[in-house]
Amino acid sequence: MKKILFTLAFAVMALGAFAQNIKTLPENITIKALDGHTVQTSAIQNDGKPIILSFWATWCKPCNRELNTIKEVYEEWQEETGVKLVAISIDDARSAAKVKPHVDGNGWEYEVYIDQNQDFKRAMNVVNVPHTFIINGKGEIVWEHTSFVEGSEEEVYEIVKKVAAGEPIE
Amino acid sequence: MKTRFLLLTLALSVLTITANAQSVLGGGQVSGNIQIDGQISRADSVIGSSDVPSKLLSNARADILYTNGAFSAGLRFEAYQKPMLGFAPEYEGQGIANYFASYQGERLSITAGNYYEQFGNGLILRTYEDRYLGLDNSLFGFNVAYRPVTGVTLKGVLGKQRFYWEKGAGLVRGIDGEVSLNDVIKAMAESKTRITLGAGFVSKYEDNNVTIISRVDDVEGVQYKLALPANVAAGSVRMDLSHGGWGLQAEYARKSQDPNKMNQYIYKPGEALFLSGSYSQKGFSANIQAKRVDNMGFRSERNPNDKTGQMLYINYVPAITKQHTYAFLSMYPYATQTTGEMGFQGDVMLKLKKETLLGGKYGTDIHINSAVITGLDTTITGGMGTNGYEASYCALGDLYYGDVSVEIARKLSKQSKLTCTYGYVVFNPITEGHAGHLHHNNVVVADYTYKINKKNVIRFEAEWMGSDSQYDKNVDDKRAGDWIMGLVEYNFTSAFFVSLSDQYAYNDGVGNYPSINLGYTKGATRLQVGYGKQREGIVCIGGVCRQVPASNGLTFSLTTSF
Repeated sequence: MKKILFTLAFAVMALGAFAQNIKTLPENITIKALDGHTVQTSAIQNDGKPIILSFWATWCKPCNRELNTIKEVYEEWQEETGVKLVAISIDDARSAAKVKPHVDGNGWEYEVYIDQNQDFKRAMNVVNVPHTFIINGKGEIVWEHTSFVEGSEEEVYEIVKKVAAGEPIE
Repeated sequence: MKTRFLLLTLALSVLTITANAQSVLGGGQVSGNIQIDGQISRADSVIGSSDVPSKLLSNARADILYTNGAFSAGLRFEAYQKPMLGFAPEYEGQGIANYFASYQGERLSITAGNYYEQFGNGLILRTYEDRYLGLDNSLFGFNVAYRPVTGVTLKGVLGKQRFYWEKGAGLVRGIDGEVSLNDVIKAMAESKTRITLGAGFVSKYEDNNVTIISRVDDVEGVQYKLALPANVAAGSVRMDLSHGGWGLQAEYARKSQDPNKMNQYIYKPGEALFLSGSYSQKGFSANIQAKRVDNMGFRSERNPNDKTGQMLYINYVPAITKQHTYAFLSMYPYATQTTGEMGFQGDVMLKLKKETLLGGKYGTDIHINSAVITGLDTTITGGMGTNGYEASYCALGDLYYGDVSVEIARKLSKQSKLTCTYGYVVFNPITEGHAGHLHHNNVVVADYTYKINKKNVIRFEAEWMGSDSQYDKNVDDKRAGDWIMGLVEYNFTSAFFVSLSDQYAYNDGVGNYPSINLGYTKGATRLQVGYGKQREGIVCIGGVCRQVPASNGLTFSLTTSF
């Protein structure tokens, strides 16, 4: 019981201290590029333009639907807003070797990294995939959503357009 | 008491740093996630569910993470009051299950507390957690990573593993190095050929002052006591090579004498080999994998008091079968046999172009996958206290599992998409620890999605499984027989969904499993409520499986992250 109280107190204090909690991307978490070499999460950049950060896995059907659906409109989105989609695969040793073939086989033009040890996933508090974040030009996480159904890509794009134009998201 | 003190120190240091950070570095960030799952299940003699004395079962957890620049600290509160069906009863209770403080600099990372680490594919070391398996083998101690120059990573681990609410007895130490040749050799910087090499070493120490009698000689009345190694070592080497669309990954691991309960106290060294080759280009990919595992179960205790048999694994031997998502294709999932197996897998993905004869107006995706897993071909040479057996390198043993599946997905119009899947699965019950003949199953799935308009999407799924297995009261495997299933799911944007489904064993089996599920998602918060019957079965993630008993009643799950 004491432990619970303690945790709660700790959480409340911590939360209280940072009421205006602006979340940014963690910088020094190690992830792997598709060619096998490691990079730090600070490499996720888009020259001040918005980023869609999508956590997915090869075995996750809604994730694949999301990335395939966005594929159809990605070129258009890029031209209009300069947005970049960065797809973070959480596949573990069982399927990590299949990520590159999977990405190529689907013809995805996204920037893809593998978070095999799931350090990035934990740091971003991702519980289930798909989990999608939108990051503004300053590296701040301005929107997030879990799950995907056909049609919700349009919701994502509405936010991206606002972020690209520097408008607030309500 | 000790834990509380540690915790207090950790929290105080966090608060102190926070206070300083505010003036020096500017404010930090607090984030976290919460998940609460609950279940109310009632007895049903047909499906085999029983009444729950406490009525409500629930698993809950909250992760709270504080980050300030390179510094982070976090803790996880877990509560199992009482654990949900299928989770180990040892989890019952609540408290801080996991906590850590970490510095992640550009060159140096240090973590103290609970951490998750992996060397290569994990053949000698992988600590991870999976909340859906009720599995957490995190190491508690220190973890250091150092990157002296770009392209070189050195890692060290030291600690004891989590064992439910305790720590395992064994001490785990390990080091690992990885180098990306393209980063360190100037001449290779621009090369199309990318090479990464790595090697790791792990050692486990466990008190050997225990007596295990190997046999009693009846004639002489002499007892033979096993001389147990206190230290067990494992090492691995690995390579990741790619050239344009070509890729090759290999890892080989060996383990020294490690007599333990799982291998029945034999002294044969362990071995594992994992190979994966692939070729891909836009719209086409092929991948083949092979692995051989021999006596490679590596746990930080020789004989943990653990009914599920999942805890205290230091290493991870991945299953290389496809992780099927349709209900009947995953009805008989494959679990890695760390004591010995050989496996092969092939996977091909193909995109037929749009506006072609075969591809149709919008193009067609074809995905073919096949896997065969067998035991090793072994000759028994002795029992406990000896090397146990000899295993052939190339010959295959008994068939454990085989499957082939073909999935064809095609967009039919702007609004609709159809995916048809055929699968054939051969399953050996020995992999779940039961004797019995092989099951052969044919599965057909049709999955149709129709987008009514921008906001309303409806999905239908129909599955059929024909099996040569029949329900047998003595074995009581409720997966036996021929099955049909139907599912309708309606989505209102990504915010709301409702689905109705029924699985029915129409021939040679038992049970009818109707259920309804409702879900609501807003941002990173998701609430799901289900009511109905759930077949007893096996939940597998990455070849690690958990038995889930039948249930009949209400389930709910709330997840959120902030």
